[in-house]
Amino acid sequence: MASSYPPPFEGTGEVKEGFLCPLCLKDLQSFYQLQEHYEEEHSGDDRHVRGQLKSLVQKAKKAKDKLLKRDGEDKPETGSYESFYYGGVDPYMWEPQELGATRNHMDFFKKHRAARIDHYVIEVNKLIIRLEKLTSFDRMNIDAGKIRAIEKSVVAWVSDSDVPFCPDCGNKFNLRNRRHHCRLCGSIMCRKCMEFVPLPLAYKLTSGTREARSVTGSQSQSQSPPTGGGGNVSGMGSRRGSISSLSSVTSMLEEKDDERIRCCLHCMDTLMKRQQKLEEKDHVPDIVKLYERLRLCMDKVDERAPEYIRMAESLNAGETTYNLDTAGGLRMEVQKYYELIDALSKKILTLGMKEEPQPHQKTLQLQRMVRYTATLFVQEKLLGLMSLPTKDKYEDLKEKRKQEQEMRLTQERLIAQVAQKRRQDSEKNRPAASTNGEAPQAPRAPRMTKAGGWLPSSDTLHTCGELEDPLLQQIDNIQSFLRQAKAAQRHDEVAMLEENLRQLQDEYDQQQTSLAIALSQRLAQEESLQQDELQRLEDREREHRAQSQAPGSQATYTWQGSLNLTDIGSLHGEEEGEEEVTPKAESSPLSMRAFPALTDQDEESPPRLRRLRGDVTPPGGEGQNSSSLNPFEEEDSTPVEDPSNPFFEEIQKEHKEVANGKKEYNPFEQEEGGEEEQGQAEGATGNPFEVKEENNEGNPFKEASGCTPPGASTNPFEGEDEEAMPDVDVIEEELLLQQIDNIRAYIFDAKLNGRLDEVELLSENLRELQRTLQEQKSKTH
Amino acid sequence: MNVTLAVKQYISKMIENSGPGMKVLLMDKETTSIVSVVYTQSEILQKEVYLFERIDSQNRDNMKHLKAICFLRPTKENVENLIQELRRPKYSVYFIYFSNVISKSEIKALAEADEQEVVAEVQEFYGDFIAVNPHLFSLNLSGVARGRSWEPTLLPRTTQGLTSVLLALKKCPMIRYQLSSDMAKRLGESVKQIITKEYELFDFRKTEVPPLLLILDRSDDAITPLLNQWTYQAMVHELLGLNNNRIDLSRVPGISKDLKEVVLSAENDEFYANNLYLNFGEIGTNIKNLMEDFQKKKPKEQQKLESISDMKAFVDNYPQFKKMSGTVSKHVTVVGELSRLVSERHLMEVSELEQELACQNDHSSASQNVRRLLQNPRVSEMDAVRLVMLYALRYERHSSSILPGLMEELNRKGVSEKHCRMVTSMVEYGGKRVRGSDLVNPQDAVAITKQFFKGLKGVENVYTQHAPLLQETLDQLIKGRLKDSHFPYLGPSSLRDRPQDIIVFVIGGATYEEALAIYNLNRTVPGVRIVLGGTTIHNTKSFLEEVTLTAAAGQAERLQRAGGHPNRR
Repeated sequence: MASSYPPPFEGTGEVKEGFLCPLCLKDLQSFYQLQEHYEEEHSGDDRHVRGQLKSLVQKAKKAKDKLLKRDGEDKPETGSYESFYYGGVDPYMWEPQELGATRNHMDFFKKHRAARIDHYVIEVNKLIIRLEKLTSFDRMNIDAGKIRAIEKSVVAWVSDSDVPFCPDCGNKFNLRNRRHHCRLCGSIMCRKCMEFVPLPLAYKLTSGTREARSVTGSQSQSQSPPTGGGGNVSGMGSRRGSISSLSSVTSMLEEKDDERIRCCLHCMDTLMKRQQKLEEKDHVPDIVKLYERLRLCMDKVDERAPEYIRMAESLNAGETTYNLDTAGGLRMEVQKYYELIDALSKKILTLGMKEEPQPHQKTLQLQRMVRYTATLFVQEKLLGLMSLPTKDKYEDLKEKRKQEQEMRLTQERLIAQVAQKRRQDSEKNRPAASTNGEAPQAPRAPRMTKAGGWLPSSDTLHTCGELEDPLLQQIDNIQSFLRQAKAAQRHDEVAMLEENLRQLQDEYDQQQTSLAIALSQRLAQEESLQQDELQRLEDREREHRAQSQAPGSQATYTWQGSLNLTDIGSLHGEEEGEEEVTPKAESSPLSMRAFPALTDQDEESPPRLRRLRGDVTPPGGEGQNSSSLNPFEEEDSTPVEDPSNPFFEEIQKEHKEVANGKKEYNPFEQEEGGEEEQGQAEGATGNPFEVKEENNEGNPFKEASGCTPPGASTNPFEGEDEEAMPDVDVIEEELLLQQIDNIRAYIFDAKLNGRLDEVELLSENLRELQRTLQEQKSKTH
Repeated sequence: MNVTLAVKQYISKMIENSGPGMKVLLMDKETTSIVSVVYTQSEILQKEVYLFERIDSQNRDNMKHLKAICFLRPTKENVENLIQELRRPKYSVYFIYFSNVISKSEIKALAEADEQEVVAEVQEFYGDFIAVNPHLFSLNLSGVARGRSWEPTLLPRTTQGLTSVLLALKKCPMIRYQLSSDMAKRLGESVKQIITKEYELFDFRKTEVPPLLLILDRSDDAITPLLNQWTYQAMVHELLGLNNNRIDLSRVPGISKDLKEVVLSAENDEFYANNLYLNFGEIGTNIKNLMEDFQKKKPKEQQKLESISDMKAFVDNYPQFKKMSGTVSKHVTVVGELSRLVSERHLMEVSELEQELACQNDHSSASQNVRRLLQNPRVSEMDAVRLVMLYALRYERHSSSILPGLMEELNRKGVSEKHCRMVTSMVEYGGKRVRGSDLVNPQDAVAITKQFFKGLKGVENVYTQHAPLLQETLDQLIKGRLKDSHFPYLGPSSLRDRPQDIIVFVIGGATYEEALAIYNLNRTVPGVRIVLGGTTIHNTKSFLEEVTLTAAAGQAERLQRAGGHPNRR
C-alpha cells in the first residue's frame, strides 16, 4: 500500500497550502471538493491509505476550523465552503445543527410524584402489615368471636351508627342490607360492594414481610396455610390471643371467614396492583431472553463484518496484509452469526403461536416486527459480504499487483532522482536560507491572511522546497501555529495544537515506515535480479523451508534482521530531524530513504514472486484450493466440504451446542417452524435448501465427525500432501461452490421478501451452477 | 435552519434517551404524521422501536417488557389519555415528550397519576410541525380563515406550530407582517405574546443579525396555487396529491398492489432527492437513464450464465439490482401516471394559457385563448374553472372583461354550479380589493428588460415563466427594500442590517412552487437562509377547498350580522 505514495513534490520553491490532494498535490480550495476529487481520481488506490489520509485531512481541517473560530473570524456562519464557490447553500448542505430547544419537567414531576408516592407507599405498607396480622393465626381452629376480636384489634372499625349509607353504592343500610366492615381499613360497605382476599393471595402478598420477620421462614410461600402455617402461627397467634377477650354476641351472627378476608373495593384494588407488580418483578418473558441474544449476535456482526470486508477487499486487491485463511475463518464466523440471527428471529416470530389462546394481536405484531428487522439486518449486511478469492486466484492477484507496483516504483524512482537533483541544485542556490530563516524565498500564497488565525509563520519557509509530503506541511503549519500560540500565551490552544501535532506525527511515522518498506521492496527486486542462479536456487529452497514452517511470514528474517532494525532507527532519526526543521536532515531525505531498502525487502514480496515462478515445479502447487481432495470423496460429501455452506455450519453449531450441554434449540426444528412462511416459495421452485436439509438432517453428527475436520480443509499443505498435481478444473470448483453459496443467500433473502419471481430466477441460476459443478466433477472423475 | 433535521434530531434523541431494549412509540394522530414524514419504518426499526401505537387506541396489550416513548401534543385529550395510561401502565417505563409547552397543572396531574413510578422522563421537545423538506414545513391545517378573520380554534394551534418551529431552530426572531391582512397581524401578536411569556425558552445565543419572521397571507397571491406545475415535487402534488410525503396511487389504472401508496421522501430516495426540483422534461430523461441503468443491472431471464465470470457478475450486481428495482418501479409508475394525466387533460395547452394569463398583459389574446380552450371538450372541469378564475383575478377590473361570457361558457360546458360559484368566491378571496401589493403587474421597466434578456438566452421555459409573488417579496426583503408601510415590524425596533435567517410563514397555505423559489434563493444568495412554512401545502384542489370554506364561513358571518341588525332595531 505504501507504494501508492505520491511522487515527490518538485521543490520549485513554491509553498502550497490549503486543501491539497495528498496524491497529486492539486489545490482544491475546499474540503468537500478535495474529498470529491479524491474519490474520483484516486478511488482505485488503496482504501487503507485513503482512510488514513481522509482522517488526517479531517483532523487538519478541524484544527484549522477551531483556530479560525477562536480568533473571531468574521466569516459569516453560512459562508461555509460552498457558499464561496457556488454563491449560496443548498439546504441539504446546511451546516450541522444542534438539537433544538428542550425543556425538562422531570424535577417538577418528581416533586409532585414523591408526595403522592409517599402517601401511596404508606397506604400499601399499612395494608400489607394488617393483612399479615390477619393471616398469621390459624383461622380454622379459633372460634369466630376470637377472630372478630383479633380483627378488630388490627384496625379500628368505624362505628355502625356513623354510616347510614354504603359509601360506595349509596344504598341505605337496614336489616336486610347489613353493614360489613373492611378488615383492612375498618370502613363499612354493603354486601354488594364487598370483596374477599383469598388466603393464598394474602400469603403471597405478605410473603416478603413474613420472611423478614420469621427467622424460621418455614412457610414463606405456603399455599396451604393449615399445615404450613402451624408453627409460626402458634407463636404469633398466642401473642394476640391474650388480647382477644372482647367477643360480642352479635358477631356470632356473621359468617365465619375461614379462608378469606373481607375487604372493601379500594383496599382490594391496591392489593391487586401490588400483586401484579410482584409478579412482574421476577418474570422475564421468553421474547426478552431471545431478543437479548439476537441483539448480541447483531452487535457481533456489526463488529466483525467491517473487519471481514476490509480483509476481503484487501485480499481481492491482491494485497498481502491479511491471511486468506484468517479471512475465511472470519467469513465463517460472520455467516454463523447470520444463521443464528435468522434462527433466533424465527423463534421469536413463532413464539406462542401454538399456544391456546393465541397471544394478543399486538404481541404477534411485535414479534413480526422483530423478525422483519432481523431480516432487514441480514439482508443489508449479508449481501454486502463479498466473496473471497480462491487460493489460486489470490496468487494471480498478488502477482498482478506486484507487477503494477513494480512499474509504479520504477517510475517513481525516476521522478525521485530528478527531484533530488533539482533539490540539490536549489539547495546550492540558496545557502542563505539556512542561515537566515526569515528570508522569504518563495512567493507564498496568502491564503490564510483573511483568516486572522495563526499563520504558518515565515520561519518555516525555508523548508518549503523539501516538504514534498503534505503531512509534513501540515506538521509544519501546526508547529508554527504552536509557536504563535505559545507566544500569545494561549495555553488551551497550545494543548489542542500539541494534540494535533502528535496525531499528525504518528500518521507521518506510519507513512514513512510503509514508504521505507515499499522502497526496500523495489530494491530487493533489483537485487534479486542481480543475484546469480545459484543464489536464487538457494533462496528458493530456504524460503520453501521457511514457509513450510510459517507460511507467508518473514522468510529471510535471519540474514537481514539486524540491518533492518538499525535502518528503521535511522529512518526515525530522519523524521525527527525533519520535524525539528533542521535543514541538514531535509536536504537528503531521499538518500536516506534509499538505505532501508536493503533490509526488509524479503519480508513479504519476493518470496511470493519466486514462489509463483516456481509454480511450474510440483512442490509449488501449494496454492491448491482446499477442495482438491480425492475426487471420489468429493462425490460423496461435497456439501460438507464447502466451508461456507450454511448447513455445514449449522451442523457444526449444533454439534457444539450439544457438546456444551445447552441444547436450547435446534436449527432444523426452526427450519420446519418457519416452513409456513417459506412454504410457497419452496413449493414453487424445488428449493435447494430443502434438499440439502434432508441430506444433512438425518445424521448431522455423523457427517460432521466422519468427514475431514474443518480445519483440515482449509490447510493447503494437507491438500498438497494428498494430491500433488493441481487440476485446473478442480480449482474452479471452489469458486463455483462459493457462488452457489452466494446464490443461496440471495434466494433466502428473496424468499423472505416474498419475491417469488426472483426466487425462481435465482433457483434457475443455482441449478445451472450445480449442473456445471456436476460436469466438472465428472470431468475430473 | 433545517426543519427536517430538527425533527429527526428530536426523535433520535428521544429514542437514545430510553436506552437499549425493545420499545414502543406512543403517539397521537398528529405526532404520527410528524414522525412518519422524517423517518421511514425501517429506519426507526433499526433503533429498536418495534411498535407504533396511538395513545387513544384501546386495543393495546400489556407488554411489560417494552419501554414506551410517548411523543404527544399537549392537548387535553392526550393528557387525559396519558393519565389513564399511567394509572394502569401497560409498559415498563414511560419516557414522555410533549411537542409543545405544557402547563404545570397538567404535569402535576400526570405526576399524581404515576403511582407506580413508571415515568422516567417528562420533557418538551418542540417538534410540533410537519417537516416536508429541509426548508419547508407545514402544519396540516385547512380552513384557517372565516372570511377575513381567524377560525377561533386555529389561531392558538397555528401559534403553537409556529413557535415550535422557532424553538426547534433556536430562533428568537423579529416579526414583520403583511399590513393588508388582519390575520397576519393577529398571528404575529400571538407569537410575540408567547415569546414574551416563555422568555426563558427563547433565550438563545444572540446572533449579530437577529432572525426574522415574516408573516404573509395567501389571499395576497391567489394566482400561484392555481397554476399547473412542472417540477417533480410540485407536479406530483398538483396532479396526484402529496400527503405527508405519501401519494395515493390507488386510482391509477392497472396499478399493482404494492404500489397503491408510495412514499416520496428525499431523505432516503436518491433519485427523488436529485430530481425534486427538476422539470418534467429533465425528469423524463433522468428516468430513462435510470431505466437503462437498471436494465443493464437486471439479470435477464433468457440470459445464459455460461461462464463463471457471468455468474460472478450477476451475483455481485444482485444487491444493487434489488435496491434499484424498488426505486425504479416507483418512479416509473409515478412519472408514467403524470404523463398520462398530462396528455389526457391537455395540460401542456392549459398550462401555457395559464402562464400567459399570469405573466403577460394582452387582454384580447388572453380572452380569445380562454374561450377557445373552454370549448375544447377534453379540457377538464377543474382546468376550465381555474382558467376562468385566473382570468377573473387577472382582468378583474378590465373595461372589456368577458367574464360573464366565460361563466356562460362554463355553464354550457356542464360545469357544476358549485364550481361556478367558486369563481366568485375566488375573486372575493384574492381580488384586487383584498390585495395589499400589486400581484399581477410588477412589470416596471427593469422587470421588462430582465424578461427580455431571459428570453434572449432562451432559458425561459414557457411553462415555468411565472415566478411567485413571494420570490419578489423576499428579494426585496433581502435587499432591504421591502417597504415598512406594507410590511411593518411588530414592536418598536426594526432591522437595519441585511437579514440572514428568515422564516416565512404563509397563512392559508404555501405551495411547492414557492418552496422551489425559496430553494433557489437559498442556493443563489450567499449568507441568507430561508425557511418557508404554511398552515398547509396547497395544490389547486386543496386551495379551492380552502377558499370555499373561507368564503362559506365568511358569508355565514355576514348573514348573521345582516340578520342581527334588524333585530336590534
